[in-house]
Amino acid sequence: MINDIPLNYFLSLAAALFCIGLFGSLARKNAIAVLMGIELMLNAVNINLVAFWRYGSPDPILNQAGIVFALFVITLAAAEAAIGLALVIAIYRSRDTVNVEEINLLKW
Amino acid sequence: MVQNFTLLIPLFPLLAFAIIALLTRSRNRLSAWIAILGVILALALSLGVFLEALAEGAELAVNPFYGAPIVWYPYGTATVNFGWLVDPMGSAMLFMVPTVCLMIFIYSVAYMRHSHTGKDGHTIHEDDPRYARFFALISLFTGSMLLLVISSNLLQFFIAWEIMGFCSYALIGFWSFRGLKEHHIDDAQVGRARAASIKAFLTTRVGDVLLMTGMILLFITVGTLDFTQMFSPDGLNNMLLGEPPIGALQWPTLIALLIFGGTVAKSAQFPLHIWLPDAMEGPTPVSALIHAATMVSAGIFLVIRMYPLFVFDSQTGGFSMQTVALIGGFTAIFAAVLGLAQNDIKRVLAFSTVSQLGYMLAALGIGAFVAGSFHLITHAFFKALLFLAAGAVIHAVGTNDMLKMGGLWRKMPITFLTFLIGALALMGIFPFAGFWSKDEILLEALRLGFFSESGAAPLVQFVFISLATAAFITALYTGRQLFLTFFGKPRDQHFYDHAHESPVTIWVPLAILALFTTVIGFWNTPFAPAFTGYVGEAGLVGLPVPFEHHAFDQLALISIFVSLGIAFGGLFVAYFIYGFRPVGAGQPDPLERLGIIYRALASKFWLDELYGYKINLDGTARAGLLVRFVGLLSRFSYWFDRTIVDGLVNLVGWFGRIMARLWGWFDKHVIDAIVNGSGSVTGEIAGWWRTMQTGNVQNYALIAVAGAMAFAILFLLRSFT
Amino acid sequence: MLSAITFLPLLGAIIILFLPNDNAIKRFAILWSIIPLALATVAWVVFPTWPEFTMMNGSWCSPEINAASLEYYLGECIPWIPALGIQYHVGIDGISMPLIWLTTLLTTLSLFYSARNISTRVKEFFALFLLLETGMLGVFVSLDLFLFYIFWEIGLVPMYFLIGIWGHEQDRPQYAAIKFFLYTLAGSVFMLLAIIALYLFSTPNTFDIPLLTATRDNSVWAKDVLISTAAFIGFFLAFAIKMPLFPFHTWLPDAHTAAPTAGSVVLAGILLKLGGYGFIRILLPMFPGTFNSFAIGIGALAVISIVYGSLVAMAQTDFKRLVAYSSVNHMGFVVLGFAAAAALTNEQLINPELGNYFNSGATAINGAVLAMFTHGVITGGLFFLVGMLYERTHTRELAQFGGFMATVPIYGGLLLLTAFASLGLPGLAGFVGEFLVLRGSYTTLTLLTFIAVIGVIFTAAYFLWRVVQKVLLGKADEKWVNLPDLRGYEVLTLVPLAVLMIVIGIYPNWILDTINAATEVILKTMASV
Repeated sequence: MINDIPLNYFLSLAAALFCIGLFGSLARKNAIAVLMGIELMLNAVNINLVAFWRYGSPDPILNQAGIVFALFVITLAAAEAAIGLALVIAIYRSRDTVNVEEINLLKW
Repeated sequence: MVQNFTLLIPLFPLLAFAIIALLTRSRNRLSAWIAILGVILALALSLGVFLEALAEGAELAVNPFYGAPIVWYPYGTATVNFGWLVDPMGSAMLFMVPTVCLMIFIYSVAYMRHSHTGKDGHTIHEDDPRYARFFALISLFTGSMLLLVISSNLLQFFIAWEIMGFCSYALIGFWSFRGLKEHHIDDAQVGRARAASIKAFLTTRVGDVLLMTGMILLFITVGTLDFTQMFSPDGLNNMLLGEPPIGALQWPTLIALLIFGGTVAKSAQFPLHIWLPDAMEGPTPVSALIHAATMVSAGIFLVIRMYPLFVFDSQTGGFSMQTVALIGGFTAIFAAVLGLAQNDIKRVLAFSTVSQLGYMLAALGIGAFVAGSFHLITHAFFKALLFLAAGAVIHAVGTNDMLKMGGLWRKMPITFLTFLIGALALMGIFPFAGFWSKDEILLEALRLGFFSESGAAPLVQFVFISLATAAFITALYTGRQLFLTFFGKPRDQHFYDHAHESPVTIWVPLAILALFTTVIGFWNTPFAPAFTGYVGEAGLVGLPVPFEHHAFDQLALISIFVSLGIAFGGLFVAYFIYGFRPVGAGQPDPLERLGIIYRALASKFWLDELYGYKINLDGTARAGLLVRFVGLLSRFSYWFDRTIVDGLVNLVGWFGRIMARLWGWFDKHVIDAIVNGSGSVTGEIAGWWRTMQTGNVQNYALIAVAGAMAFAILFLLRSFT
Repeated sequence: MLSAITFLPLLGAIIILFLPNDNAIKRFAILWSIIPLALATVAWVVFPTWPEFTMMNGSWCSPEINAASLEYYLGECIPWIPALGIQYHVGIDGISMPLIWLTTLLTTLSLFYSARNISTRVKEFFALFLLLETGMLGVFVSLDLFLFYIFWEIGLVPMYFLIGIWGHEQDRPQYAAIKFFLYTLAGSVFMLLAIIALYLFSTPNTFDIPLLTATRDNSVWAKDVLISTAAFIGFFLAFAIKMPLFPFHTWLPDAHTAAPTAGSVVLAGILLKLGGYGFIRILLPMFPGTFNSFAIGIGALAVISIVYGSLVAMAQTDFKRLVAYSSVNHMGFVVLGFAAAAALTNEQLINPELGNYFNSGATAINGAVLAMFTHGVITGGLFFLVGMLYERTHTRELAQFGGFMATVPIYGGLLLLTAFASLGLPGLAGFVGEFLVLRGSYTTLTLLTFIAVIGVIFTAAYFLWRVVQKVLLGKADEKWVNLPDLRGYEVLTLVPLAVLMIVIGIYPNWILDTINAATEVILKTMASV
């Protein structure tokens, strides 16, 4: 049944999701929101990976690289979220804000 | 079958030491009893072995009790084994050592209690604060002495020998430290004891090092240190195989002399005798036990143990035995003369010990093996007796100075009687032990020196003359001691009033030792030489018998009268000087009329000032020239180390720093200038460029995305075309 | 097994970094350090069965290496940098075993003692100490020169910080630490050059010690006099500085004096032994010919160390500095033993007809190794004792002390025991090694040994005259009236050492048996057929 849905649908969904994520991470002021944007982008990639595995692979049972990658990305996303949140909290403690525009320590 | 348990003998006192040191050191009485129990068990076992040995008779010399089951260490493909060895002389020592030790232990129980007058005028008796420590140390000492006697291996012997040295050190220095609350010892005593203990240890250490060297060379040339293997015919012949070490000196001579060096130090022979008189700073039982009866005679026992080596050397043309005889003979008379001018009751006995040990060595050196060995046994009994009796006097009177005593026989008759027996034995008066053994030595010297079939031997003649003179002087100083201490009028009323007869635990050991002193001589009379038959008949392990034995003959009879005459002569002179007209209170010793000679005697020929350590009565000590030289050398070495050796290291470091600074300058002003030049150019550009860094992460991300998009577009365009 | 012993301390050091508070760190470090000690004990206890544990079972290395290291037990071998022929190759024999055990023991005791005495920067101290242990153990187990070198250098760094950070302020700890570090580093640079030379001139190119030894007689590096001499000197400098041998010893008094108590203990107890271990593991089996031609010179340096060290020690007024110089004195005996064994000619080693030279050489080496072990025990004990005294009096000037035998009897008894063990009283540990070395050396270096014997007298003199007399004897001073005697934990620190001193002195066979097994092998490899 799922084969009835064309690959393009998935890709479109993923692209949309990615753009939302990209926008969020570039435009939002709140660091948490930036993090959420990043998570969205990662998930968009996941959708792509799984979709390509399902449709692109000649033998999906034997060749499972796509979903394994997706699993890696999920793990990575979890770790990244943990570290990111920890950083945000650390920054909040020292600078009393999570507004990314005010966090410009990297400035020359 | 007791012989198989020989190794256990030293174990009991050693165990007692461990128990006292670890567990019961705070319980005085218990510690003393544990120590005594240890000696009693050792004595019982020793007597068992001794009796079994006696039953073997002269056969024992050929087949001694022997076993070496303990592997002490392996080296390459061989091992060094420890075990036990009991030959006739060893068994005699097994009888003598624990017996004397037991007496001294019992004696110490009361001796180590001090009495002093308390605040309310009553006399207070209390234990020495280091009571348990004392018993621990003498137990350790007894254990190692017994270990030495039964050693089957020279290395084992040496270990026991050195542990005894440590005990001697610790016991001479028994009062060498003082806590804040210990008022029974004064600071002068602390100073004296401290210096004396170190002097004793270091002086004997010199000998020990010689002994160790000799032992190692023996090990190398013979290939073993086990007595039975060493003295097998093959063993000693091995020594002649290698190249002789120095010129004409052959291996056996060199090794025998080095080993004898150990004896010279341990048995306080000239020139290393200087430590023994000062060693009297220790408690009197220690002087009796270590510095009269056992440890110093262990030096003689070493020569007896190694006697086959000395005989072998003299048979192959070496001169080690002559050296032994010469040093022994000289020390016998030298120390006797020094003993004349001492006023300390214990120091007289100390010099007498040195002199008597010289006797034994002289006897061994001229080949009178049995006579020397027998004198070792008898001397232990009567010298221990003399020391203990002297200790009882000191304990009762409260001073060591004979010039402050006098007339004491009325106050302490039993002590006097036992001292008298010991003194007569020392002088060599019939029928006490010393008479028989000393007469035997003089007889042998007379026979070998003047009536030998192989012609007269000048060296033995010298030994005879020196020993005979020494016997005369011995009688003289012993008589002096007797008269000054016990006869005449009291020279110091205060000390005299203080004196009292010794308690029973003190005089009973004295009485037992006096009994031994009286009877032990009959073990070897010229008419019935049982000891000779036992110890000397069969010769030594594996070697041809080097001794000639003579039946009782005219010469022996003459010698008896000669030696008795000498002894009575000395006693008579002593009576003439000190007994006939007693020295009064405050009067100087009549000997002082000798002037410079007396001063030389009193200061022991200034040898301490030359190479020893002069210890003054007030507890200060002055290093002799040799010691001071070493001190100087040491300070020079340290200066050298700090200034030259370390100076070089620091110089290298300093040079490194200078170089570093030079490079630093070059670096900064030349290389860095170039770098800085290029740097400042870069900096200019960067200053303009860096305005891009807003610090806002989102800006950076935006640029990154823009870049990615640009690439994506580029890629798309390319794929379209 | 060996890897576990070696790297467990490192793991412990890492764990310590995560522990929250000082007490937890101290407790953890002590308990953790017992594990290697227990493992080393087990290894030693099963020593007689070692031949069943030859490294054949667990080796991934080439068959040549396996064949060459048959005499090393509990071995592990894994290629590490195959391109350069570098292996992670470890293994021990009867010579490394006692030293490994001593290392683990002294570390445990030092940590135990330090737990009460270190209060600043606790985390760093204990972590560094365990790191140091790994470095030292690594040297003793390494069978690959590259690995050997790495561990050798690892040991330096923690020691540098131990001296520099926790040193006594008045003793210029920074100066001492820098001196120690640079001096030792200078030595090891020469060693590195020598190692590289060996690698370049060996066929096949290898850093493997057993393989180098086995192929010695067919290799360029051994046949070419220039290369072998240069390499020998390189190694020798590194080891002589570490020992330390006169005239390379001057870093030692400064470093010892400045170091904290536990640091001095390990410095004297183990670090100095690395030099001696290098002599026996590398110089003797790998350069017998070259060593033979230098034997008299090195023996002479050893004898100078003995006599000179004792004389200089006699002139000291500072207790700790005196003990430091006594190390120079005692390590001289170790070198003398090795030099004596090296002085045996090839003929003497292989021809039993010439007399018992083989056994003499074995005696010398056994003695030297045992002397290393006992010196670790005794001098470790002495440094503990000095430290304990310093804790109480805050001075180390010998002239300030006196009468402590009466005021602090337990301390007095233990110091007396240790001092006499150190001056070589028979019946205590120090004597056995000294005697064996002298016994072994008289065969080959007769005259030198005779001079060394004089040093024995001086040794007794300075211990009695400076240590025992000044500290223990004499009149107690009013100012030390409230001096407390040793506390329970201090006694507990010293008791294992004291027991070892007595046990080895009375019955050394149990340890010499282990050593002798390996010594025989080394002497056999020294002989070239």
